Amino acid sequence: MQSYFKGKWLPYLLLLPTFFILIVFLFYPAFETFRLSLYKVHPYGIRKIFAGFYNFRKIFTSSDYLHSFTTSLVFSAAVVVLGLFVSLMIALLLNQKIKGQMVYRSLLIWPYALSPAISGAIFLFLFNPANGYMTFFFDHFFGVEPKWLTDGTLALIVVTVAATWKNLGYNIIFYLAGLQNVQKESLEAASIDGAGAFKRFWIITFPLLSPMTFFLLVMNLIYSYFASFGLVDVLTSGGPANATNILIYQLYRDFFINSKTGFAAAESFILFSLVVVMTLIQFRTTGRKVHYQ
Amino acid sequence: MKLNWIVLVLLLLPGMLFASGAQEPEITGPVTVDFWHAMGGARIELIQGIVDEFMAANPNITVNVQYTGSYNDTLNKTKAAAKAGNAPHVFHLYEIGTLGMANSGMVTPMDDLKKWEKIDWNDFFTPVKNYYAISGKHYSMPFNSSTPLLYYNKTFFGDAGLDTEAPPATFEAMIEVGNKLKGSGLGLKAPLTWNLHSWYFEEFHCVMDAPFVNNDNGRKGEFPTEVLFNGEAGQKIVEWWTGMEKDGIFLDVGPGWSNHRAAFGSGEVAMVMSSTSDVNQLTGLLADKGWEMGTGFVPRPEGAKGGVTIGGGTLWMSNGHPDEELLAALKLVKYISEDDAQMKWHKGTGYFAVRKTAMKKLEEEGWFRDNPNFLTAFNQLLESPYTVNTAGSLIGVFPEARALIETGIQKVYAGDKTVKEALDEAAAKTNEAMAEWNELSM
Repeated sequence: MQSYFKGKWLPYLLLLPTFFILIVFLFYPAFETFRLSLYKVHPYGIRKIFAGFYNFRKIFTSSDYLHSFTTSLVFSAAVVVLGLFVSLMIALLLNQKIKGQMVYRSLLIWPYALSPAISGAIFLFLFNPANGYMTFFFDHFFGVEPKWLTDGTLALIVVTVAATWKNLGYNIIFYLAGLQNVQKESLEAASIDGAGAFKRFWIITFPLLSPMTFFLLVMNLIYSYFASFGLVDVLTSGGPANATNILIYQLYRDFFINSKTGFAAAESFILFSLVVVMTLIQFRTTGRKVHYQ
Repeated sequence: MKLNWIVLVLLLLPGMLFASGAQEPEITGPVTVDFWHAMGGARIELIQGIVDEFMAANPNITVNVQYTGSYNDTLNKTKAAAKAGNAPHVFHLYEIGTLGMANSGMVTPMDDLKKWEKIDWNDFFTPVKNYYAISGKHYSMPFNSSTPLLYYNKTFFGDAGLDTEAPPATFEAMIEVGNKLKGSGLGLKAPLTWNLHSWYFEEFHCVMDAPFVNNDNGRKGEFPTEVLFNGEAGQKIVEWWTGMEKDGIFLDVGPGWSNHRAAFGSGEVAMVMSSTSDVNQLTGLLADKGWEMGTGFVPRPEGAKGGVTIGGGTLWMSNGHPDEELLAALKLVKYISEDDAQMKWHKGTGYFAVRKTAMKKLEEEGWFRDNPNFLTAFNQLLESPYTVNTAGSLIGVFPEARALIETGIQKVYAGDKTVKEALDEAAAKTNEAMAEWNELSM
């Protein structure tokens, strides 16, 4: 038996605070961003010239922006796949009955508590071209000095690993929670039927974890697109030669360094649309195959 | 017709009577002034000390000093604050922001207040005074001025059998010395480094007396419309720079202002170029290891006749404050530019004092006799001929130009582009950005 409101207006009244917040903090800024993206704006905002889709045209013909777009795709795919895979493996291990489980759990969740800038600084200590620990380690033991942060490919790898590491804790917590919700009965039944550990995981655990995986997929995608800014800023400043210049960093450069408000607004709008589209696609495709308990 | 005249007079009358700037305001009650600066680390205390002395001398004025991050962070915070109507009275900005800030509509140029407080501009060193003037008008108050300087490890030079009193002065000598150090068995990562920064690229143009942008480096009252840094001089510089990296003479430590210092301090390299403002810090780093440090001028191609330009920052005053507060702010920036404050600042950092009288006092104290490395930067500046090219260029989109140049140099490092291709690309993009800036600022 479902209860419902009698008054016609009461539900709207109750929704009002939510809508108010959405309008003030989401819809209005989004609209303003779109409006600004149609202008050429003076760096100090004292003049605006209406330019139609000038900024968008410029973006899509800019080789730098297209390069940044590809870099972002590669980076996010790597962060999401690597991050989910590694954290699921760790979560499976942590879900075993082992001694000192709590200590391991706390330690593994730790990186998530750090701010991106601090994580960046830690990796900078490790990979600093002048006197980083890893630089020293490789030189000392293998006699090679990889240019961790001054070679494009290596720098992108370091940033990817740093971003993955930073978000591990978050993923592990959710996977652990998911694993603890998997019914023991099903696993036992499968055991009795003669299914091995891998088969049990693949046929039972993994499908049952799919809502969690789906949720983490969305969250990690958004994380890699937006929250990895601090890491890039501290580690490479988007370099070398734009190798780690992901979209959010390009946006930062255009607004905060180059002071191109209109252009940055257009980029921001594209980034926003991108996330909307990605989320929609995920809900449409993955959403259907997700098995909700 | 007559009525119109009366209306006009009535409209203009209040303006004529109370025109700001005509009458010197007085500081009657307590006044509070906000001051945002971009000097981190030990320099935060140093500035606070100078401001405390100012407040002791001006008991009516309270100054809220705040370190607001890098120059760029400080600029963005100031912009945001100005939009919200509460810009700090005094804020700190890098030299390359000069043209942009002068056209920002949010500042009070120094010269607009010259009736309030006399500032003897002739006491400032010419390159310092002129860098921050546009068509002769002074916009901001010189505070921290620097040039690049070559630092070298005398102990290492001695060990390698090199003359410890003769750092390489030319591009050619740098390669020669670099090769000797490389073969010396000192276990260096490379003989030389500096951080990936366009500043050096600009300074090399100055020592070659080559223009960076057109319209007389933007110095003759017209905005530049085209960059010239992809010309012969620019190519020669980057060929030399990236060539040394390829040959293992130069260590690429990436961008930022700490890696190159660390490499020098830990003995990974024997020579580093950095700002003169690092004299104090680098002397300390090497002394900790028991090494002796020497300083030399920015190297130049054989026969180049130019000189260095200054870098660093100045103090700007925002607008839209009551006259009383502006006057207090003016007194503050003037105090910071004067001898006592400048001498203290120079000794604590290595930035040179911006006034001639301060320099003279330092000399009389015997400061340079005991600390010869602090003198090198002064000598380098004083020996620089003053031309339109060594004056430093005025570019509205300077920060963007720098980023493009740095990316270009990295592309050469990576072998993605030749020197000419990389510089042409950076030039084309800067030109495009400049055209848009000019369109919006005309």
